[in-house]
Amino acid sequence: MKKAKSKRVIPGFGLSLGVTLSILSIIVLIPLASLVVYTAQMDFKGVIETITRPRVLASFKVSFLTAFIASLINSVMGIILAWVLVKYKFPGKRILDGMIELPFALPTAVAGISLTALTADTGLIGAAFAKIGIKIAYTRIGITVALIFIGIPFVVRAVQPVLEKLDSSYEEAAGILGASRARIFRKIILPEILPAALTGFGLAFGRCIGEYGSVVFIAGNMPYKTEITPLIIMSELQEYDYASATAIALVMLVFAFAILFAVNLVQARNSRIINGGK
Amino acid sequence: MYVELKNINKSFGNFKASDNVSFSIEKGKLIGLLGPSGSGKTTILRMIAGLETPDSGEIIIDGKVVNDIPASKRGIGFVFQNYALFRYMTVYENIAFGLRVRKDDKKSIDKRVKELISLVGLDGMDKRYPSQLSGGQRQRVAFARALAPNPQLLLLDEPFAAIDAKVRQELRSWLKDMITKLGVTSIFVTHDQDEAIEVADELIITNNGRIEQTGTPLEIYQNPETAFTASFFGQTSIIDDYTQFKTFGRIENTGKAIVRPEFVKITKKGEVQKYRSSAVEGVVLKTLFRGSNIELSVRVGDTVLNARRALDEPHVKVGETVDVFLYRLFVTSGDKAYIVENESLRENSIVI
Amino acid sequence: MEKNEGSKIVKWILIGISVLFAFLFLILPLYTVITDALRSGWETYKKAVTDEYAIKAATLTVEATVIAVLINTIFGLFAAWTVTKFRFRGKKLLTTMIDIPVTVSPIIAGLIFVLTFGRQSPIYPYLQAWDIKIVFAVPGIILATVFVTFPFISRELIPVLEAQGTDEEEAAALMGANVFTIFRRVTFPHIKWAFLYGVVLCAARAMGEFGAVSVLSGHLRGKTNTLPLHVEILFNEFKYVPAFAVSSILVMMAIVILIIRSVVEYRGRRAE
Repeated sequence: MKKAKSKRVIPGFGLSLGVTLSILSIIVLIPLASLVVYTAQMDFKGVIETITRPRVLASFKVSFLTAFIASLINSVMGIILAWVLVKYKFPGKRILDGMIELPFALPTAVAGISLTALTADTGLIGAAFAKIGIKIAYTRIGITVALIFIGIPFVVRAVQPVLEKLDSSYEEAAGILGASRARIFRKIILPEILPAALTGFGLAFGRCIGEYGSVVFIAGNMPYKTEITPLIIMSELQEYDYASATAIALVMLVFAFAILFAVNLVQARNSRIINGGK
Repeated sequence: MYVELKNINKSFGNFKASDNVSFSIEKGKLIGLLGPSGSGKTTILRMIAGLETPDSGEIIIDGKVVNDIPASKRGIGFVFQNYALFRYMTVYENIAFGLRVRKDDKKSIDKRVKELISLVGLDGMDKRYPSQLSGGQRQRVAFARALAPNPQLLLLDEPFAAIDAKVRQELRSWLKDMITKLGVTSIFVTHDQDEAIEVADELIITNNGRIEQTGTPLEIYQNPETAFTASFFGQTSIIDDYTQFKTFGRIENTGKAIVRPEFVKITKKGEVQKYRSSAVEGVVLKTLFRGSNIELSVRVGDTVLNARRALDEPHVKVGETVDVFLYRLFVTSGDKAYIVENESLRENSIVI
Repeated sequence: MEKNEGSKIVKWILIGISVLFAFLFLILPLYTVITDALRSGWETYKKAVTDEYAIKAATLTVEATVIAVLINTIFGLFAAWTVTKFRFRGKKLLTTMIDIPVTVSPIIAGLIFVLTFGRQSPIYPYLQAWDIKIVFAVPGIILATVFVTFPFISRELIPVLEAQGTDEEEAAALMGANVFTIFRRVTFPHIKWAFLYGVVLCAARAMGEFGAVSVLSGHLRGKTNTLPLHVEILFNEFKYVPAFAVSSILVMMAIVILIIRSVVEYRGRRAE
């Protein structure tokens, strides 16, 4: 093959690729590689033993279940919030729109202690629920509450742009054809926003599974009951048991990448439908 | 020869954009690169500019091989399809950009920019941003910007594609006048045959990454050398078996024939006609009023022909049986095309 | 379409649900922070936020945030330029790798730096020989902060630059402009608002990062504590009022960030 040196018209390719790859390597690739190197040194049996310890398994269950329920609630609430923000005019709308981003801006630890204070038996909300015998803080309900707080912007921000682009003539056409509002929503609007909602769900789910700061305070961290996986990794690290910490982290990483992959699939399919072809 | 391409090849993956392309251009000419989309014409233009690199072959500008000379040093002006005006710069800054990059002194930049602004007829608009201009005005800015550094070669990629049909006509003659006046060698790419014929001094016809034919618009129109060029201009019809028309004898090793509407004479039954004995019968399928004439679709056997009749001739109706006479046709033989006159014309030695 | 009673009722029900949700999950927590911070009066509040350790933690937080924003700005600009202005092999892989840090749990982010620079790491002896401390020291905290906010700026820039295309840059390059002129005069005006937006998001997250920093900090008061870690320590020592007092500073910073974000987004939309 002839080596025709392909010239690029826009200058600066070498420099910018160089800088990009250097920083990427130092911050992301080398640290991730050290995880791989470290894993390669571990024996497989030990890894399996670690991740099948009952306490670890219980933590997987707690993390998975609370993240799943929180993301489910967020999907419904996220669609409603996005709908309200896009379709209606009402006083205070811009403030509500700005507030949605609060969980991104507020340090998770602050959210954690605040939600804990709020939902403990002595707190504003906790006291009300305590009267009817429901404890929120230091239970799985509390964890779910914290995760709802963390995850809500993901779904809203995924669905909002799709709703904004949704041509209202579709709805009008369906209305003229005599479709009821419920039917219009189910048949016309829901299919349009479902991929976006799924994306939002996936992103929220991924974030919630790994969430630490807002959860540790409200969880109570009772082994087998309210101990989340990131906390187990944390305590292994504090005991300098890096092998166990790494083994458990690997499971979480595999899971996180699986979610990312699924989200990308949904997004690719979605953009194919919207943009047609390609 | 001012610009020369020698055996240029270029592929994008499996797609062969240029297949052994060679041609040359004289100084001062306005050249149209014409072809359907995907025929490789834009790639040729971008390679001349230096925006793409050929896989093999030589590009020569003004006697120098420029393959290894970066785009910015080739002394060319380029007008992009969507003009690529700098959206966050005013008209003045857009035109001045190339001169500022060259580090000309402020005074001469100012003089040159003002000169160009009035040359392209945009006086008083120098402080506007591209978003505040109409399509035609944007094109004028793009043109002025490309000309500012005094390029020896001006390249224009589909210069009229982004403009309304109405303004396009006006801009075509404006651009032709302007380029002729300045005398700068120019190459423009287009897929529009009317535009190419009207604007260019010479045409280069591209198809499937190859050059089909080069020549003046008139030469190419009258004497297409290839089957592709023969069928590219006008609303041509394809005839599978041209011997079904009388007085066209079979020629060895030939295939289908191509006919332009002006090759077809449609005569109503009972009208006076010169070549009745050489005409065949056909049935009118469709008539369409086209403003200056009436367009007809006529079926002869299995063949459907496009034809025209003048408005002042008696009207034909759909379903009517008419006489069809062909003055000439293009016979194809592989990729090649030959013009074949109707024998009955030759007998009378009348050329129409 | 006719505005019937039904659609109005639905509208207000949905708005009601939304507002209630926002009140319970977003406003009440903020309210709690402020009231709890001021529960024992203004003096206690002032003492808590001017506490020596609190100020040291705040300084470190600012330091880590500034460095994270700086590094991610450099990275974001170069990465976005590389990814959107050139065709090259492995581009997809590159963009995927840039996004990895946000999909990784903060705890795992901390873990990988411990594995890279910690005691069991093969390079640990060299670090010791040079007397470089990373884990349980400030550099570790900064690294972790940079990691978790890594794609925040590039992610805002890439879609904008992608939509803008490369025509303008090609035109400028054809006229002989160098890379810095092209970037400054042609490209940057397009991404001005997206860039500011990215910086704000990056700063917000950097300031509040807890998990990853927690792993790498070692919780040495006055040395390796950031504000969120300081809050944790106070809270775990049952010093609720000081914990909320320090939190209230972070809450105010968050609100400021939200306001800047709204303004930037609004200006950005108007500029389009």
